Amino acid sequence: MDVPRPEAAPGTLSRRSLVKRGLLGGALLAAGGAGFLALRGGAPVSLPPDGLLVFTPAQFAVLDAVARRMVRPRPGWPTVDQIGVARAADRIAARVEPSAQKELRQLLGLFENGLAGFLFGGRTRPFTRLDGEEQDRVLAEWRDSRLAVRRTGHAALRTLVLAGYYQSPSVWPAVGYSGPPGIFADAASQPEWRGGDQPRPDGNGVWHGETLP
Amino acid sequence: MKAPGRILTGRDHPVNTTLHCDVVVVGSGAGGSVLAERLTARGLEVILLEEGGYWTRHSFDGREDHSYPRLYQEMGNRATDDQSVLILQGRSVGGGTTVNWCTSFRTPREVLERWRDGYGVKGLTEEALVPHWEAIEKRLHIAEWPLERMNANNRVLWDGCGKLGYARGLVRRNVNNCASLGYCGLGCPLDAKMSMLVTLIPDAVEKGLTVQANASVRRILTGSRRVGGVEAILLDPETDRPTGVTLTVKARTVAVCGGAINSPALLLRSELDGNGNVGKRFFLHPVVIMSALMPEPVVPWSGAPQAAYSRHFSERGAGKVGFLLEVPPIMPLIAATVFPGIGDQHQALMEQLPYIHSTIAICHDGLLPDDVGGTVKLRDPLERRVSIDYPLRPFHFEAFRAACKEMARIQFAAGAREVRSLHSVPVRIQKAADIDAALDAAPWEAGRVRVATAHQLGGCAMGGDPRTSVVDSTLRYHGLDNLFVVDGSVFPTSLGVNPQETIFGIARWASQFVAAATV
Repeated sequence: MDVPRPEAAPGTLSRRSLVKRGLLGGALLAAGGAGFLALRGGAPVSLPPDGLLVFTPAQFAVLDAVARRMVRPRPGWPTVDQIGVARAADRIAARVEPSAQKELRQLLGLFENGLAGFLFGGRTRPFTRLDGEEQDRVLAEWRDSRLAVRRTGHAALRTLVLAGYYQSPSVWPAVGYSGPPGIFADAASQPEWRGGDQPRPDGNGVWHGETLP
Repeated sequence: MKAPGRILTGRDHPVNTTLHCDVVVVGSGAGGSVLAERLTARGLEVILLEEGGYWTRHSFDGREDHSYPRLYQEMGNRATDDQSVLILQGRSVGGGTTVNWCTSFRTPREVLERWRDGYGVKGLTEEALVPHWEAIEKRLHIAEWPLERMNANNRVLWDGCGKLGYARGLVRRNVNNCASLGYCGLGCPLDAKMSMLVTLIPDAVEKGLTVQANASVRRILTGSRRVGGVEAILLDPETDRPTGVTLTVKARTVAVCGGAINSPALLLRSELDGNGNVGKRFFLHPVVIMSALMPEPVVPWSGAPQAAYSRHFSERGAGKVGFLLEVPPIMPLIAATVFPGIGDQHQALMEQLPYIHSTIAICHDGLLPDDVGGTVKLRDPLERRVSIDYPLRPFHFEAFRAACKEMARIQFAAGAREVRSLHSVPVRIQKAADIDAALDAAPWEAGRVRVATAHQLGGCAMGGDPRTSVVDSTLRYHGLDNLFVVDGSVFPTSLGVNPQETIFGIARWASQFVAAATV
């Protein structure tokens, strides 16, 4: 859905020169995608029975963990599990361009990656192995980073996860939304006009004046 | 009388096909539809190609999760490369007119004068446009929306401006028998919105126009002085993925009407860079938003979405970017992603959705001498996603901050209990006296405050000088006899008002030049 497009990038020792050359964004994202140096396993998570379309189980686990921090259990609200947020995010991602899917996969890898966690925040444990408060801190670090690429990544992940939750009509009562008016269902029963020999049905869009202006 | 034309989708051509016509129009939004209708009315054989699908009131269901993927570019998630500006842009038969909020302004006279004086645009005067506006206003039933039908959400802006003595106006809307449902942005289930989808497109189809939906035009067939047509790939109407079928349309004239992002991209894919001007001077009326918790429900998804506006701050003096104030409709999915925060804080805000009013400030970019706007470029030519760069600069942030302050003042004047900015860590303000200090302390930086746009302009600027513009004052591509660009991309600057009626008027005016070139 929302897709990171890194321009500048983070680093440690030679950050300035690399940022200037615009290289490390790609390199570090690629590291996330490859999962290298992220060999410490992430937390296990149950996968959707109908499978995944875009993400790997490890990437799915990151989405699931992020979703649990972004949408908290709350009276009157459906849970992350009831909605199947990570699965919904995977389905949303399935509809974007293949190049954007690749960037999302890399972003999730980078988010989980021990090396990246260490470079950014001095952590080596994967995101999915952190406790809830630590996860919130990592999310806030990405959001508030002075590196544009991390803010972009946070925005992309946030949009994907929140869209996965709020796309569901079962959230409507919690936010006081009444849903689309019934008139939409009435319109659905009419045949669709395609021109040709079929006469154009009358309606609000038809001009009833003498000559068209 | 010619036989009626047809409306076809991506499934109607199972094998590679070549069609012939007088004019092929690429893009069925405000520019392409008006142009296609006028040319068809003149007796020309016209084919109108649209990359998006053919969705009508029979398929509109008012659900955000279905409508954004069907009716918006990149599923409603088009954005600048750095994600700092969210770009809402239509993508279906009717283009932006199928999903816009019906706001109709004639072009401000000073904008046309600026184009004449600053960019060498000839003949595009208010006098030249008035007959076209009058015809369009009649056909589309454009009229002021009455104050007594203004919804509670717009009342906040109206009343707040009234209390503070700020200039305010009633929005003119293109609607007929409107029931005030509030779902303009997701497709009108009553055909009450006088979009191109239900007016000029079917009018022209009855007169012989062929509409081909799900046709993604990949390149213009170019020659030395003339172009020969276009080549498109067809997309599956359900999945939006290529079907493998190529559609070639040979035409005597080509009109590119894909809007300020897709028109430059098509020209660039066709190796037409307009001396380096294609994709440059791209403007997007950047929008900042303030949200207010009101004491009574405003039900921001219900009622005519835009009814009040204020141009009080349109002119802010030398060196400053002016802004137009309007009200957006808000629905849960877009609210959840646009309103900042996560977790309990975010959910607590979302729970109050019926009480939340938002005001938007539409900034008038491209007017300051050093405001060259953004750039549209290609990524991989095989990709539909293009690169959109729009650097936010100090003069933008000056306007954003000033606009957020004024919006907060208006909201408090209208009775707001609390006002919030859309910073990634929102600034929360409890009383009017705190506005300036709170917003002065906020971080005004790309990616730290939500910026959005629903108006994409420029990228194929018109002008008298081929060294600095892409099309001439008849909207003809400099140096090619039968290639035209007819949409909002030809504007040399932004407008300062919602663009649809300007695009209607210019397209109708330009149809004479396109017809004359079709030999």
